[in-house]
Amino acid sequence: MNPKTSSTLLPQQEVLLQKAEDWFSDQGWKPFPFQKETWRAYMEGKHGLLNAPTGSGKTYALWFPILMECLRVSGYLDEKKKTRPKRGLRAIWITPLRALSQEIFQSAQRIIQDLDLPLSVGIRTGDTSTKERSRQKRQMPELLITTPESLHLLLSSKNYPKTFALCQAVVVDEWHELMGSKRGVQMELALSRLKTLSENLRIWGISATIGNLDLAREVLLGPGSPAFENSVMIRADIQKRIEVKSLLPKTMETFPWRGHLGLHLLDDVIPIIKSSKTTLLFTNTRSQCEIWFQKILERYPEFAGEMAMHHGSINKETRLWVEQAIRNESLKAVVCTSSLDLGVDFAPVETVIQIGGPKGVARFFQRAGRSGHRPGQPSVIYFLPTHALELVEASALHKAIEKKAVEDRMPYLMSYDVLLQYLTTLAVSDGFYPKEIWPEIRSTFCYQGLDEDQWQWLLNFMVLGSQSLRSYDEYRKVEVEEDGRFKVNNKGIAMRHRFQMGTIVGDANLSVHYQSGGYIGSIEEWFVSGLNPGDVFTFAGRNLEFIRLRGMKVQVRNSKKRTSKVPSWMGGRLTLSAQMSQLLREELYSARLSKAEQSPEIQALDPVFEQQRKESIIPSTDHFLMEYFETREGHHHLFYPFEGRFVHEALASLLAYRISLMRPVSFSLAFNDYGFELLSDQPVDLQEIIDNNLLTTDHMLEDLQNSLNSTEMARRKFRDIAVISGLVFTGYPEKGIKMKHLQSSSQLLFDVFKDYEADNLLYTQAYRETFEHQLEEGRLRLALKRIGRQELVIRNCSQATPFSFPIITDRLREKMSSEKLADRIRKMTKKLQGR
Amino acid sequence: MNHRIQIGGQQMLMHPSGALFWEERSLLMLSDVHLGKISHFRKFGAAIPTQAVQENFILLRRLVEEFQPFQIVFLGDLFHSSLNKEWDLFEHWVQATPSELILVAGNHDIISPLRFEKIGLHYVEDWELGPFYLSHHPTDTSEHINICGHIHPAIVLRGSGRQSLRLPCFFLKPKQLILPALGAFTGSHSLKQGPKDRVFVLAEGEVIAL
Repeated sequence: MNPKTSSTLLPQQEVLLQKAEDWFSDQGWKPFPFQKETWRAYMEGKHGLLNAPTGSGKTYALWFPILMECLRVSGYLDEKKKTRPKRGLRAIWITPLRALSQEIFQSAQRIIQDLDLPLSVGIRTGDTSTKERSRQKRQMPELLITTPESLHLLLSSKNYPKTFALCQAVVVDEWHELMGSKRGVQMELALSRLKTLSENLRIWGISATIGNLDLAREVLLGPGSPAFENSVMIRADIQKRIEVKSLLPKTMETFPWRGHLGLHLLDDVIPIIKSSKTTLLFTNTRSQCEIWFQKILERYPEFAGEMAMHHGSINKETRLWVEQAIRNESLKAVVCTSSLDLGVDFAPVETVIQIGGPKGVARFFQRAGRSGHRPGQPSVIYFLPTHALELVEASALHKAIEKKAVEDRMPYLMSYDVLLQYLTTLAVSDGFYPKEIWPEIRSTFCYQGLDEDQWQWLLNFMVLGSQSLRSYDEYRKVEVEEDGRFKVNNKGIAMRHRFQMGTIVGDANLSVHYQSGGYIGSIEEWFVSGLNPGDVFTFAGRNLEFIRLRGMKVQVRNSKKRTSKVPSWMGGRLTLSAQMSQLLREELYSARLSKAEQSPEIQALDPVFEQQRKESIIPSTDHFLMEYFETREGHHHLFYPFEGRFVHEALASLLAYRISLMRPVSFSLAFNDYGFELLSDQPVDLQEIIDNNLLTTDHMLEDLQNSLNSTEMARRKFRDIAVISGLVFTGYPEKGIKMKHLQSSSQLLFDVFKDYEADNLLYTQAYRETFEHQLEEGRLRLALKRIGRQELVIRNCSQATPFSFPIITDRLREKMSSEKLADRIRKMTKKLQGR
Repeated sequence: MNHRIQIGGQQMLMHPSGALFWEERSLLMLSDVHLGKISHFRKFGAAIPTQAVQENFILLRRLVEEFQPFQIVFLGDLFHSSLNKEWDLFEHWVQATPSELILVAGNHDIISPLRFEKIGLHYVEDWELGPFYLSHHPTDTSEHINICGHIHPAIVLRGSGRQSLRLPCFFLKPKQLILPALGAFTGSHSLKQGPKDRVFVLAEGEVIAL
C-alpha cells in the first residue's frame, strides 16, 4: 500500500517530510505506510482518527508532522530569518494514563534533540510538582503532554484563552479507552472550547481497534462539524498473529467450580516465567495482583528481586521504577492489573499470562499485544482460568480472535453532571456568557440533543441551586454579573471546585505511610475501617501492621507476621460484551457435540459437565434452563441466559419484580456472566413463570423502571453523578473529614431527591444511565426475544449444580421485596428466636 | 402507631418518628434533629432540595399537635451548624409552640447558649429528672437511667434467603435508652444487640419491638 503522493502540499512541506524520512533511515528504520499517510494528512490540514495498536510507532506518526508544522508556521524554517518561534503552547497530547506520558515525552524529546529543534516539551499531570506547574504557568512548553483532568484544570485558571491562542494541534491518545467513559465527555467539552480559542486547530485521535471506529471519529470531532467533514480515518492495518494457550488443570476433580484467584495453577506458571525473558501476569483486580505476587514469592523465593508488582494504588515512584526495570530487562516477571494495559511499549516482554477471564476481546487483544514485539513474531498469551466455567470463556476467546469479534465502546449521551462541572470550571476561571458557550456545547456529540429548556434548567441550578428563588435560601455557587456573565467569585467555592474536578469517582481513598513518613500507596477507606491497631495486611507486596489512622493517613510499620488480609478495591466488575456472550453460548452448546468437534478446553471440562448432567442438563441453542434447589440458606432459583453480567442484573430484577407482583415475596439477587439467581425464604413455582409469561418483552421498560426503585443500581449511579456535578463535596485532600459523612451518605441525598425533587435532571440521569450503560436495555430486549423462542426447561435438583455454584456463592447482592416491612421484621425476629 | 413501654416505673410512648413521650410528665423528648444542616450545605454550593428543610418543621408541628406536651426536651444536636437562615424558621416555630422548650447541649450545638435563651429555650448541659438522667452523649450513671442520643442507632436484621434489613431504632440497655435521630437527612450507626438489650425498630409508621 503506497500513500498517494499528492501535490496539495507546499514544496516546503515536502522538504520537511523528507527530513522525517531521513530521520527514520538514520535510525535504521523505514516508515510504515500508515505513518507516511498520517504525516501527509496532517500537513494537508486534516483532522483524523488513527487506528493503530500499541508498539506500532503511532507516536512518531503524529509527533513528526506536528513538530514540522510548528516550525513552518512560526517561520523558523525561513532561511533568512531563522528566528526562534514565538514561545507558547503549540500542541497538546492527551493521554488517559499518567504512566504513559513518559514514553510520549521521550519520543518527542528524541526528535527534538536529533534534529536540533528550538522546541520544548513538558508533562503536566496530577503527578507534576507545584513548582513545575507554576513554572509552566509562566512559560508553557511548546508541546504539552497531559491528561483530560489536567487539561480541564488549565481551563479553570485565569486568562486561560491566552494559553491556548497559538495551539495548532490536539492529539487524543487511546481515544477508545476514553470514549466509553465520562472522561470522553470531558474531552468533547474541552475540544469544543479549544476549537473556538485556537485558530487552525487540528484534532487527531489515536484508537486501538474497536467495533465502532467510525462513530469514534464522529464523537471526537463533533457530529457534522467542519472538523468532521475535513477528516480522515487511517488504519495501520498491522496484522499480528495472536496465539492463545490455555493452562488446563491436570485433574479436573480438584478444580474449583468457583474461585477468583487461580492459585491452584501457580506451579504451572513457573516454567513459563523461567523460559522467557520477561513475563507480564495480568490479573483482574488489585487484590488478586497482591495475592499472586505474595504467593509466588512464598513458593519460589528465588524470584525475589526479579519480580515486581504494578497496580494503580501503588505510589508513582515504584510504578515508574517497575516500568523502567521492564525496559532494562532486569525483571523476570511483573504481576499487574489494567494499569499496564495501555500504551507503554515494553520490547523485552516475551510472554503474557492472563489470569481469569478478560471479559472483553479488545482488552484481551491489547494484553496479548504486549508480548512479541519483534516483527513477524506472534503474540503469545496464556490464559489461566480461575474456575471451571472460565475454560468455556477461554475457548470462546479463540473463536473471537479468529473472527476479530471486537466490541463497541458506547459513548455517553446527555451527561448533565459532566456539563455542570465544566460550566462551573469556566465560571471559576474567566466566567462565561451562556450565549457564547451554548453553540459550542450543542456541537458536541454528547449534548447534540440538549434543548433550550434543559439548558435553562442547568443554568438555574448553578445559580439558584433549584429552579425557583426562595427567600430564606442562602445557596451560593455561581453568580450572574450585571452584563450577564456567569462567574464564581467566592474563593472557597473556586478552590473546592478545583479539588474535585474529574469524572473518576472512587471510594474515599486513604494514603498509606510509614510512621517515618514514606508513602506507600493508597487504599479505600472501607477497608481501613475494618482494621484494628496491630492487624497485619498485605499491600504493595509488603506485610504491614496497622498502627493508627491520622486524618486521611494510614500509619503502618513493616511486619514479619503472616496474614491473609489483602485490601480489595470495589468496583471494576466487568461484563461480557454481546459478541463475547454469543461466542460463549456457542462454546457451551458444543458440550453436547462429540469429542472430536470440541476444543481442548471444552474437552477438559468433561467431568464438570458430567456432574451438571447428573442433576440438570447442559442447555442447547433451543433451551432456556431454570434450576431449583433448596439449601440451608433458602430456596434457590437459577436461570441461565449466558448474556453477560449486566443483562443478567437487569433480567434478575425484572423477573423478581414481576414475581413480586403476584404475591408478597422477598428476594436476594445474584448474577454473573453465565446466569442469575433469585434466592428467597420461600419457594417459587418455576412453572408459574412460564404460565404467566413473565419473560415477555411487553411492558419491559415500565416494569424495569419500577423494579429499579427497589434496587441499589440507580442509587449507585447517582453517587457518581452527585460527586461529578459538584452536588456533594468529597473533601480536601489530606483533610476530607468535614463533609465525609455527606459523601458516605449520598444514599440520604438520593432519598431526599426521590421525595422532594424527583424531576431533578441529575436524579433522572441516574436512572437513564442505569438503563443505557448498566442494564443495556437494547441487549436485554434481544435476550428476552431469544428466550421467547427457546424451550423453557425446569429442573428440580437435589443439590447445587456446577453451573449454579459460582452464582450462589457470590456475596454482592441486590435486594427486591414486595412484602410489608413489618411482616419481614416479624419473620426475621421469629427466625432469631427459633435458633 | 406508638409503642407503649414502661421504663423506670414511668409510662413512655415511642413514636415512629423517633420521638419519646413521657406521659406522667407530659414531656416530649427529641434527639439529633440537626436543623440547619441542609441550609449549611447549600450555602457551600451543594444543591440539596430546599423542600427537605420544611420537612423537619412539619414533623415538629405534627408531634406538638399529637402529644400537646407541657415540655419538649431536645437531647442535643438540635442545630447542626453555625447560624444560618434556617434559624429564622426555627424561631418562628418556637414562637408558635406553647410548650416549654429545653435544649440539652450536644456536640454539634455550636450556636451560643445566649441565642437559644434569647428566643426562649432553656439551655442545659444535662438534666436529672426523676429516675432519669438526660444527656446528649451516652453516659453511665449508677443511680439513674440515662436517656440520650448522639449515636443515631440502627440495627441490622438478617433472615433466611440472605435477606437483611437495616433500620433505625430505639436502643434500650438495662440502664440506658438511646433515641434514634429525628431529623430528615441524618445518617445512622449500626449497633449489635446484646443479650440484655431491647431494640424497637422504626418501620413505615410503626414501632416494632424485636
